[in-house]
Amino acid sequence: MMTESQSVTLESLANKMKIEDLNIFYGSFQAMKHANLDVPDRHVMALIGPSGCGKSTFLRALNRMHDLTPGTRVEGKVTLDGIDIYAPTIDPVTVRHRIGMVFQRPNPFPKSIFENVVYGPKIHGENNGKRLAEIAEKSLRAAALWDEVKDRLNRSALDLSGGQQQRLCIARVLAVEPEVILMDEPASALDPIATSKIEDLIGELKKDYTVIIVTHSMQQAARISDFTSFFLLGELIEVGTTSDIFTRPKDKRTEDYITGRYG
Amino acid sequence: MVGVRADKAHRDERIALVVLMTCSGVFVVAIALILGFLAFNGTRLFWGDHYSPFAFLFGTNWDGFGGSYGAAPFILGSLVATGMAIFIGGPLGVAIGVFFSELAPKRVASAFKPAIEVLVGIPSVVYGWLGLTLLVPAIATVFHLPDGDGLLAAGIVLSIMILPTVISLSEDALKVVPTSMREGSAALGATRWETITKVLIPSASSGIAVAVILGIARAIGETLAVQLVLGNAAIIPTSLLQPASALTSEIVMDMGDAPDGSGFKHALFAMAFLLLLISMGLIILIRFALRRRT
Amino acid sequence: MAQAVVAKPALARPRSSNARSRRIVDRIATAGLWVASSFVVLLLLLFIGYEFFRGASAISWHFLTGSPTAGEAGGGIGPLIFNSFYILILTLLFTVPISVCAGMYLQEYAAGGRFKAIVQFSAESLATVPSIVMGLFGLLVFVSAFHWHFTAIGGALTLTLLNLPAMMRVTQEALAGVPATYREASMGLGATKWQTVLKVILPSAIGPLTTGVVLVSGRIFGETAALIYTAGASVSYGRSAYDFNPFHTAETLAVGLYQVHREALVPDVDRIANGSALVLLVMVLVFNVIARVVGRQLTVRFTGKA
Repeated sequence: MMTESQSVTLESLANKMKIEDLNIFYGSFQAMKHANLDVPDRHVMALIGPSGCGKSTFLRALNRMHDLTPGTRVEGKVTLDGIDIYAPTIDPVTVRHRIGMVFQRPNPFPKSIFENVVYGPKIHGENNGKRLAEIAEKSLRAAALWDEVKDRLNRSALDLSGGQQQRLCIARVLAVEPEVILMDEPASALDPIATSKIEDLIGELKKDYTVIIVTHSMQQAARISDFTSFFLLGELIEVGTTSDIFTRPKDKRTEDYITGRYG
Repeated sequence: MVGVRADKAHRDERIALVVLMTCSGVFVVAIALILGFLAFNGTRLFWGDHYSPFAFLFGTNWDGFGGSYGAAPFILGSLVATGMAIFIGGPLGVAIGVFFSELAPKRVASAFKPAIEVLVGIPSVVYGWLGLTLLVPAIATVFHLPDGDGLLAAGIVLSIMILPTVISLSEDALKVVPTSMREGSAALGATRWETITKVLIPSASSGIAVAVILGIARAIGETLAVQLVLGNAAIIPTSLLQPASALTSEIVMDMGDAPDGSGFKHALFAMAFLLLLISMGLIILIRFALRRRT
Repeated sequence: MAQAVVAKPALARPRSSNARSRRIVDRIATAGLWVASSFVVLLLLLFIGYEFFRGASAISWHFLTGSPTAGEAGGGIGPLIFNSFYILILTLLFTVPISVCAGMYLQEYAAGGRFKAIVQFSAESLATVPSIVMGLFGLLVFVSAFHWHFTAIGGALTLTLLNLPAMMRVTQEALAGVPATYREASMGLGATKWQTVLKVILPSAIGPLTTGVVLVSGRIFGETAALIYTAGASVSYGRSAYDFNPFHTAETLAVGLYQVHREALVPDVDRIANGSALVLLVMVLVFNVIARVVGRQLTVRFTGKA
């Protein structure tokens, strides 16, 4: 569903992830039908569409979160650097080491700020106190939270504001040093100021990470993403550069959504 | 709406309120009376018979008819049996609570749960009888002894008896932890076991503590099952495989034989009062544990 | 803007070196939990099976209805079973009204003041009184102070005190399960609180309430320690064993099991004990099943939903 110019743009970039013929079933209900997508390395890819269109379902298949929900079936191929993460020899735990996720509602653990950030590195085997402190500082800086919490690292994470908690969750993900960061409407529970901080952060993150972000706000997608995919009723309708999707959509359904014909 | 109907309704309302409040008051009166009667009769040994509380609590020589009321053997017996019950039943109960909360598919849970409910309902005398006829001979065989009764048998029986309590309370405590915690941990690359031990159990720690404390309360107050398998020797236990005694078992055994008004009987009441104090102390501990959560 | 494809370590060879051991730990732990849980279920089946196996031979019509003997073999447990039910019904007669009323008060009326806190603390404290201690309280009050000596009613009153907290909790949970919309609708139509509680809330809660009452009844049926020194440990051999007088001694089945072993006055102690234990186990199962079935039926009848 892409024009020549779009496929040239997308295909000229190295793909970090490639999704081929992805089908997702909740029981007998098919939530995602034959989705195909190339995700370029170190760019921001936005997934947009009306509520219930399956974009979150699609996102969760990219780090095998559906493994945690019994009754869900994922068929198709999802590759990271050419390796299918659903291959039977692959341990989902290692997948999530390289593909991290930030959720819609901030979900810090009821532990200190420091313990939250180093949770990932610790379980992956790092137990040198000095290195952990370095990782914590590096991740919190990268998440633009260091200055606000550097004096109270041992206080409970639950004392932070919503926006700070979400940035903590991002720091927590960065501490594991993933290559891809999946974000499921990360700012939807936050106020406008916190939202703009997160958006600025995403602009910085894409220099080092591949970001795939689900958003219900077209304005947000237009602001922060390089590429956009439009979903509707469990199907991936159209993919392209963000400016192309918003100014020259190829599919009528995309155009209807962009122009506000349906929510 | 005016008139007779409304008046009657309001009068009924007031009568109802009085009745309901009186019934609620029964609880307060009951516990006050129990504390009062047990305190009065439980301390009579000290202010009536002038027996030293110190000798009662720490004396090791018990001879009911002979006038020596050192209750330390029973106190120790209760503590050791309860300790064993928690040592075995505590982790096992929490583990099975984890199983029901995190691992068991719905079909398995609905098959296993009724079994736990039945375990709760089995009378303690039946547990004691099963312990006496199944467990005690087994222990005798395994350890090459003439008799298998003692603290080991009591500890094992008690641990089974407290399991349902610990299981269901632990499970409840874990279910309250939000799903977002599990997702967040999994998304960072943790295995399910790591999520359970590093995130879920710490988050549910106060609820699990309550589960364990209630298990202790149940174990220390258990009478019949313990009496049937302990062997009832009023000596300081030196081994888990020797006959021993506990506060509850001693009371139930000798209360009928102790003459009214004797120091013997008063000593037994003192033991009962001690049990009451320990139980109430555990409740206060629970409230403390719950308050820490917030 | 093309990028050179950088070779990355394969997913199958994870970056963190401990992933394999962590996976093994996870598998072992999971297996361990399955084993532990199955073990408990198997344990229960073992108990029931073993007791069925040993006690079944004792069961006969004579055993279930005949009286205990005073020293010969061949006694029965008929009066004991009767006493168990008799005391159960007496206990329920006292416990249910008081607990349900108190539960209604705490759940529907009390706003959270001092009185409510005191009542709840009293109930919690009452709940941890060990059964033997409660039995001694009954001994002091009913047997000694009231000079009743061992009586069925003394035992019933003691068991009432023992089970008031449990029954109140059952009531509170049942009432809490009733949707708030029912209360709002009733009050909105001008009903008083009492009318609302009596005509709307209580009927809606009847299912869980009955289930709870039956389950507590199961525990009352098996109670021993609180009865030994209040209702007594002997059956009136001389008089009619099926005695309806609440002011007579009443040895229940559970107490009887303990006594027959302890006194060992008859030669067939094991037979009687195993038979009694089997009957007690069967009663537990029966109470459990009835609780579920009746509870579900009542819920359907009074609320129209399963």
